[in-house]
Order: sequence, then C-alpha cells, then structure tokens
Amino acid sequence: MKGTYLGEFQEIVLLTILVLDENAYGVSIQDEISRRTKREISRGALHTALTRLDEKGFIKSRFGGATAERGGRRKRYYQVTNLGRNALQEAKSIRDELWNMIPKLGIQGQ
Amino acid sequence: MRKRNQPPLILKRFFEWFCNEEYFEELQGDLEEKFHQRTQSIGIRRARLAYGKEVMKLFRPSVFKRIKFKYSNNTAMFRNYTLVAYRNLLRNKLFSVINIIGLAISMAVGLIAIAFVSEIYSYDNFHENSNRIYRVTTDLHRNNGETSEYATASVFAGRRLATDFAGFEAVAPITKGLSSNIKKGESTISVQGIYADNSFFKVLTFPFLSGNPETALNEPNSIVLTESTARKLFSKTDVVGETLQWRKDSPVKVTGVLKDPPKNSHIRFDAIGSLETLDDRNSSSVNDFGVIWSSYVYVLLPEQHDMEQIQANLNQLAKEENPKLKYWQFSMGLEKLSDIFPGNGRYNQFGTVMPKKKVRSMIILALIVLFSACFNYTNLSLARSIKRAKEIGVRKVVGASKTHLFMQFILEAVLVSILALVLSYWLFQLIKPEFLSLDFYIQRTTTLDLSASVYLYFLLFAVVIGFLAGLFPSLLMTKFRPVNILKGAVSVKTSKGLSARQVLVCIQFALSMGFATLVTMAYKQYQYALNFDLGFSTENVLNVDMQSNDPEILKTEFLAIPEVSGVSSSSILPSTGSSMSNYVKHKDPQDSVNAFTLDIGPDYLNNMGHQLVAGPGFEEADLSNKAIVNQMFLKKIGINTPEEAIGEQVSFFQKNWTIVGVIKDFHHGTINDPIEAFVFTTGRQDHYHINVKLSTNDIVGTMSKLDEAWQKVDPVKPFSAKFYDELIQDTYSDISASLKTFGLLSGIAICISILGLLGMAVYTAESRIKELAIRKVLGATITNLLMLLGKNFMIIFLLSASVAIPLAYYVYQKTIVSDAVYQISVGFWELANGALLIIVIAILTICSQTLRAARTNPAENLRNE
Repeated sequence: MKGTYLGEFQEIVLLTILVLDENAYGVSIQDEISRRTKREISRGALHTALTRLDEKGFIKSRFGGATAERGGRRKRYYQVTNLGRNALQEAKSIRDELWNMIPKLGIQGQ
Repeated sequence: MRKRNQPPLILKRFFEWFCNEEYFEELQGDLEEKFHQRTQSIGIRRARLAYGKEVMKLFRPSVFKRIKFKYSNNTAMFRNYTLVAYRNLLRNKLFSVINIIGLAISMAVGLIAIAFVSEIYSYDNFHENSNRIYRVTTDLHRNNGETSEYATASVFAGRRLATDFAGFEAVAPITKGLSSNIKKGESTISVQGIYADNSFFKVLTFPFLSGNPETALNEPNSIVLTESTARKLFSKTDVVGETLQWRKDSPVKVTGVLKDPPKNSHIRFDAIGSLETLDDRNSSSVNDFGVIWSSYVYVLLPEQHDMEQIQANLNQLAKEENPKLKYWQFSMGLEKLSDIFPGNGRYNQFGTVMPKKKVRSMIILALIVLFSACFNYTNLSLARSIKRAKEIGVRKVVGASKTHLFMQFILEAVLVSILALVLSYWLFQLIKPEFLSLDFYIQRTTTLDLSASVYLYFLLFAVVIGFLAGLFPSLLMTKFRPVNILKGAVSVKTSKGLSARQVLVCIQFALSMGFATLVTMAYKQYQYALNFDLGFSTENVLNVDMQSNDPEILKTEFLAIPEVSGVSSSSILPSTGSSMSNYVKHKDPQDSVNAFTLDIGPDYLNNMGHQLVAGPGFEEADLSNKAIVNQMFLKKIGINTPEEAIGEQVSFFQKNWTIVGVIKDFHHGTINDPIEAFVFTTGRQDHYHINVKLSTNDIVGTMSKLDEAWQKVDPVKPFSAKFYDELIQDTYSDISASLKTFGLLSGIAICISILGLLGMAVYTAESRIKELAIRKVLGATITNLLMLLGKNFMIIFLLSASVAIPLAYYVYQKTIVSDAVYQISVGFWELANGALLIIVIAILTICSQTLRAARTNPAENLRNE
C-alpha cells in the first residue's frame, strides 16, 4: 500500500525519535539528524516528514513543558507508535534480506 | 529599540501570518529555541540569517492556514444571499419579469456585438508572426494634387525590396488574377486564386499537407492547391506530382497541397500559381512598377527593426522608379497586418474589408442599448429599496458589514443578469439571421459562429452587466442607517434617490425618442429616394442582362411578345449609382466640360419617356456620330437656347459628334449627385442591358414568355432580369441598412424604456395608494388623480424630447444624409412624430396603472394600517 511506504528521510526521522526516546521534539530531532548525517536539515523539511508520518499513524505527539528561550511556547514531543515500529521492522527485514543475498561484500578494485 | 537577541520581527510576523494555528505554537517555539541555540554557536548575525532561511523553508502548503476552513461561515452566508435573492425574485414577480426581459433584450444586442467584434478582431491572428507582418501600401498622387490610397503595391516593387534593400526578413509579392478553368481529364472546375513565390509561405502561415514550401513555387507552371480544391479535382489530397491543364490547355504541375485558408483570413484562394508563370508569359503585372492594381506585397520584418530606415528604403525605391510613371507618382508605406481587417478603406483591398468605422459604431450602439437596460434595473431597485430597508436594518443589527450587504445586492443583480443571459441567448439566435443580412459588409465577412471563448465572454459579460446594474442601488442601500430604518424614518422621504431616478428615466426616454426620430427621418428619406422624380419613367421597365448576346436578335424576340410595349438597349443604367464620364470639347479646344455619357439604342429615349426639347433626335437613317445632350450641358458649354445647339459639333472619345437633339434635364445619378452635363451617344455597341417596357398585369406570365424568348437566343446562360425600381432600391441599400439598424435599436430601446416606465408606474401607484384613497374620499376625481401622478412624468418626457430631437437631427445630418444633394424637408412632424408616439405609449402605460389604483374602493386601501 502506497500510504504505508516509508521514505528514506522518514525512516531516519522515525529512528531518531526512537533514539531520543523521551526527549524527541522538533529541535532535538533536527539537531540529532544533523549530527548523525552531517547535513543541515531545515525545520520545514522536518515538519513535512513529521506530518506525513502522523498521517500514516506511525507517530503520535503530546504537548510538553515550555521554556523561556522558546518564548513561553510549549514543546511537542513525538513518540513512535506500534504501527511505526512495525513499519521500521519491515523496512529493516527487507534490507537485511537483500544484504544477505549479496554474494561478496567489500569494495572492489577497478 | 531593537532587541538584540531576538529573531527579526518582520519574519516572525510573516510566519505568524501564514502559519496554520495548529502548528504555530510548536513551530514558532522550535524556531526560537533553535535561534537561541544558534546565537550561542555561530553568532547573532548568522543566527538571524539562518532563522530567515528556516522561515522561508517553512513557507510550504502543508504549513499554510486552511483558508476554506477559516471562511466556511461565509459560504453559508452566500447560500443565504442566493436564497434571499431567489425569494425576492419570486415575491416581486412583475418587477423580476420586467428586469429580466428588459435586460435580456438589450443583452441580446450585446451578445451580437460581442460575437461580431470578437469575430472581426480574430481576423488574421492565426499567422505565426502576425505582429511582425506588414503590407506595403501605395498612395497615388495625381498631377492635380489629388491622392488616392491603395492597399496594393506592384510585384515589381516587392521584388526590388527583396533583392536591393535590407531590413526585411522576407518579402512576399503576390498578385490576384489566377482565375481559370482547371482541367483534369474530362472534369473542369473554375478556380480563383493568386500567384506567389515561395516567400509567401515564409511571411504568412498557410501550412502544407504535402509538398515542400521551400521549392513548391520555383518553376513556372507549377501550382499549389488547397485541400478542398484537390478533393474536388482528385477526390484525395496526396496529389503532388500530378499534372493538370489550365489556360489554353497548357500543362501545370501540382507541387503542393495546403490546408484551406481559415475563414478568418483576409487572403482567400483556391490555388496558388507560381509567379514565375507570369514571368514566363512576360506579363506586365510582374515587371511593371506602375501596375499596382491587384497585386500585394506582404513583408515579414525581423524581431529588431527600424521603421524609419524601412520607410526611408521605401521612399528611395519610389524615388528611383517614379520617373517611369507619366500621369502620377507613387509613395509607399507599411500597414500592420492587424490594420488590414477591419480596415480604413484603402482602395482595391484583397477581399471585402469591414470598415473600422462600422465596427466602432456597432459597439457604441450596443453600449447605448445596454446602458438603457442597466438603468431599468437600477431604477426599479432604487424604487423598491425602501421596501427592503427593514431587511437591511435587521442584517446590519445582527452584524452584517457594508461589504457583506454590498455583496448581497450585487449577487442579486448578477443572478438576474444571468437569468437574463439565458433568455437573451435565445433572442440572440432569433435575431442573428436578421443581423447577418443587415448590410453588404456583414454579409460578406461575418458568420457569427460561436467559439468556446465567445461563450466565456458571454458569461463574463452577464456578470459585468449584473455588477454595473447593481452597483448604484447596492451602494445606496448599504448606506442606510439601521436606527433610522427600524424606527421607520427612511420610508417617509428619500428625495435624493428620487432625483437620481428621474435623471435615469430621462436619459432612457431621450434615447428611445432619439432613435425613433432617426428612424422616422431615415424612413422618409428612403421613401423620398425611391419615389424621386427622375425626369424619366422607370415604371414597368425590366432590365435584362444581355450577357454578350446580340442585342438586335434579342430585341426582335422580345418585341414579338404582345405584353412588351417597347424595347431598347443601353450601356449602363442611369440612376443606379454607376456612371461614365468624359471631357467634352466644343469650339475652343482648351475649354472642356466634364459630361456623363451613355450609349443607347435609338429607341431608348422614347422607351424611357425622356422629353426632347429641340431637334429631331436619333433618326434611323443616319446614326453615325450623332449626340443628344441635356439642358445642363448647354448651360455648361455656353449655348443659350436649345435650338442653337442643333447641328453644333462637339468632340470626345477622339471623335467629332453632331448634336441632333436636346432633352430635358433628368437625374442620371442618385440623390447624392446634382444634375450634371449629360451626353447620349448611339451606335458604340458596348451595350449590356436591354430595357423592356411591359404593359401587363400578369407579370409572372410575361416573365415566362420572356424567358422562353431568351432560351431561343441563348440556351446556355440563364435569363437574368430585374425591374428598374428594384435596381434603384438596391442603390439605396445603405440607407435601408441604417434604417433597419436604427429600426431594430429603437424598437429595443422603446421596449426597454416602456418596461421600465411600467415598473415605475406600478411602484408609484402602489406606494401612494393610501394617499390616493384619502384624496378620493375627500372628493378628488379620477382625472385629478391621473394629473397628480402623471405630472412628474410629463416633465421628464418633455425634457427628454427637448434633448433627443436636436441630437437625432444632428446625427441624421451627419450620417444618413451627409452626402445627399436632394433630401426631404424636415418639418415639425418629421421631428416630433417619434417622440409623440413614445409619449402616447408612456401616458397610456401610466394611466393604466393609475386608473387601477384610483378605481379601487378607497375603503379597501384604508381598512388596514
């Protein structure tokens, strides 16, 4: 089904949320991804990915505490749902299967 | 003071403006946190920059506010407005019907105008580079200072422009005159077309179905056919390489097949022959600078062009070639493709060209009629606005803003105009054939076939009309103050609205009266022209087109029919607009008189009832070089009495003629021409018409006898004849065309204004019904009441008439009789007829309504409060 397809970026976002566990909100996710992938991602791109994941039912969110540096605005914390975990598992198993089928792994000389 | 450690305010605001509320708190919080984080790591300046970048990247649809969601309440209001408008239409059935019918009638005229104008302006827009295509035009300057403007230019000039002058991307000289019978085996078809070379396809866009546009017209005796010509000849279109016969059975090769030229092309043809063919024949139409009469030069200018330089080139060419010309000099210019059709009346156009003036006057007339109908709507809405004041008051109190109310009333008006559009579309189909037969130009160039875009224009037009009609009442009604309305203060008096209404009614009636007066005068002038005493008799004269048969044989055959009382022949028919003239010299060879000439058979004068004043006239015994002149001729040439003139010698047509008779002056031209010197000659034998005088009541029977007689002489060509009176009618077709136009428009204008008046009268009677009842109780007679209600309208009518009549007279003088030498004397009745008629109809309308109100029992009207 097209609706449950997990894009590469979306997969990274899901994994990052799991990594961050209790502390997964906008800025922390953004920072974590930047740190891991060594590439600057915009809040806009992240927003789109989060919205899509939410639409698919892979994540849920709740409002958390506000801080002064946020201008008194609350954070929205994200959590991966069971559906999201399943989707991740499935993506991983497909990959593993493919990896296992490769006869020789290693960088080949020209 | 700016806070140093804050993100830029303007960006914050911007974000707040476009961001969906659902996400705003989270996103704005995240942005700000990130901003502070960045200030620490990369400094305030770059953090601000990064903030801006983030905001821009958030500017995406998934973040935007849900517009539909936010305004959903308004759709409900729109639904309510439509419902209220609908209920209002139903409640005031009479007013609705008046509005819709009035608008529909005038919108039908508007639809015609739209269809007409969009068709006219679509001409030639299919050419790929239409904005860079020009036509070379020629002005011919005679030695006596007169200038004639031609749409044409010689092929020779075109070729020189192509070879000797820079500044043109392509030059396409073409010449008309491919008019021949083309044979394929046994079958022959007649083909009208042009000669051109390959550059024709570079300048203009006429796509090939087969054949090569680069080489198709290289060789002499090659021809490119249009699709339909190819089908006619071969029943197929892939015919490149086939051979046909044309002119004197010489072979011609088909080198290409074109798509048919679209109907909105001013250049039309069945086939294109190669210009080389004419070179081969050594024709003067390609190698003579002076032969411009039916050839055209189309040029394609490059993207970057210098008009002044090109004009200088044209002038240079004229300067080099003009010495070859004897009688006149040429100057050349360029005319944009879009200026060709509709055009400005140069001579020798490629086909019939709609004059720009006609298109403009069409638009103006349509606008006038439209405004008149809009006034009706405006008027009736204003009049009824008081009735709706309560609704407005309540709406305002519960929170409707001015904009909302404005929208509501405009919506109502648009609804009415869209309903009217449906009706007017039907009317449009009804008057379409009438319009198409209106005059010569329209017949030849217009089809009024509707394209999809025209339908869109129609709809747009209805919306605009609705908006315009509803604008004024909407503005006025939204100004009502709710407190006054609900107290009932508005209903007492709105003198402001009343005067505006009076002005509108006045303009409307002025228009109707103006049109009616114009029609009256145009009709009288038309009748006058038809019944004009020409000085000879045209009654029961049937003019038979000779079609190059022998006149003497035909005459004998016709005379054998008992119903034919006389037969004669002539070269042209006087009083039908055609004429020939020549310079006639008397004794002094330096002194000449311009005289109109007509060659006739000897029986002509007698047959047509001309009166000889002196001399024997044409005598069968000796007809060589004899002439008969009119009295004006004697005056012009300086001979005092008719008797003196007999036997005098005059010279023209390089011959000497003896005057053998003088006839009474007669009108040889139309009512636009004064009587001039006139000479009848005989025996020159270039006769085209046989004038058959009939004395019978059985026209049909006689016609069939004439037809039989014709068949004996010429079994191939059909008998073609027209009564002289019909021919004269055709001559004045331009007056009859304007008569039809103004007749139609005045009918429409009168309909609309009377409808409007009916509405006003109903309203006035209704709103003053209590007053009338009380007056009646107190002893007023019905006449008194009629006077009371009618008085205001009478003043309006008189005012309208005093504006309309002088204006109509002015327009009449400027358009219909601008060229006429002989015209009707315009008196009181000619001027006042139309206005009086309308006033009578209007008074009847008012009376009918007032009487209804005045006749009812006053108790009925006073019972309820």
